[in-house]
Amino acid sequence: MRAIVFVVMALAACSKAGEPDKAKATPRDAVVAAWTADKLVPSKLAAAPVAFAKDCQSGTVEGLDVLVCSFATPADAKAAEVPGLAWIGPATGASQAHGAALIVLADRKKADPNGRTINRLMKLAPK
Amino acid sequence: MGQIYPMRRSVLVLLTFVLLAAPSLAALASGGKQVRYVGIHPIPRSEGGGICYIEGPHVHLFDADKVQYRDHHGASYFVGDPVAYGYDGKRYAYKGHHPIHVDVVVGDGDPDEEYCYLSGPHYHSFAPPEGPEFTLAGDAYFYVGEPPHAYVEARPAMMKIDAVYQPLSYERPVVEVSAPVGWIGARAEFVAPSAAVVVEAPRERVMVAPPRVGVTVQGFIPAPPSIHIGVGIGVGAGVIVHERPVIIEERVRIKHDHGRHRGHR
Repeated sequence: MRAIVFVVMALAACSKAGEPDKAKATPRDAVVAAWTADKLVPSKLAAAPVAFAKDCQSGTVEGLDVLVCSFATPADAKAAEVPGLAWIGPATGASQAHGAALIVLADRKKADPNGRTINRLMKLAPK
Repeated sequence: MGQIYPMRRSVLVLLTFVLLAAPSLAALASGGKQVRYVGIHPIPRSEGGGICYIEGPHVHLFDADKVQYRDHHGASYFVGDPVAYGYDGKRYAYKGHHPIHVDVVVGDGDPDEEYCYLSGPHYHSFAPPEGPEFTLAGDAYFYVGEPPHAYVEARPAMMKIDAVYQPLSYERPVVEVSAPVGWIGARAEFVAPSAAVVVEAPRERVMVAPPRVGVTVQGFIPAPPSIHIGVGIGVGAGVIVHERPVIIEERVRIKHDHGRHRGHR
């Protein structure tokens, strides 16, 4: 009986812990969820300090380097598009605002010679 | 001597490293700097060739040429035929010159109307917007609108694009229908001189009697409207009869007075 109560309490605790996370879902989470739903799973994203945004994470997806930043408003994300090009460096890439998220993709390893993956990732991201 | 060999080897290693690390020629053309593009476009052969399928704004390290690209708010937008470079996506056939509403194609809402100056049948990756500007006939779009001054002004320079596509071997659209009324390619004032058979009428010369001033005056009578016979398939668009301008010459007759000249009175 004690065991059952413990399990129920643990489940309740888990669900309570999960609810605030849902509320805190960031624009970046929506982007990653859209990619993952289409079987484009990025590597674990890690905090990335950049000059043009405060909340950015970087990783890789399909051989591309990716930086996804969350902003307070879509206008803020849009304003960061051009500064985002600096993160790409000397490579093919794209820096586009999608809602309040900024997505920056860089093909530094020439993994996407015709840009189809970059195009797909950008088109999957919610507006 | 023994020290020279390792030195040469290190130079060789350094040289190899530099060559491997060096960007391609096309990248060098851009100075290794990012060049902004928007929409799909060909990739230079030196960069691998083919098509870049990124529809939105993006950057590369190679330059865009001036004939196949137009500036769209700081980014290069490709106005040529992507099928010529291996594009395998959805395509729409056009015949002759036409406007391109770049903002509609790229979906950024920054108004920008550019023009395609490809003379014959060709493809684009987009259909024109619905409206009276275009007529669809035989699965090809024909521009039947009224081109603005900007189109006419840039036409001589931009028609060089035909020379770019002429040597390219690819499956062009076959357009076998008669062009609709008002098609820009059948309008005398817009028929490409290079695309027409030109028959020259004999030169007329009118001599005008004696003059008083030493100036040659050439009176140009504008050429009559071109005569257009039918609409051909391909680049040839018709037969034009050009009449050379009538030249009216006034000759100066100098009268010598054998030293008795007293100046003008």
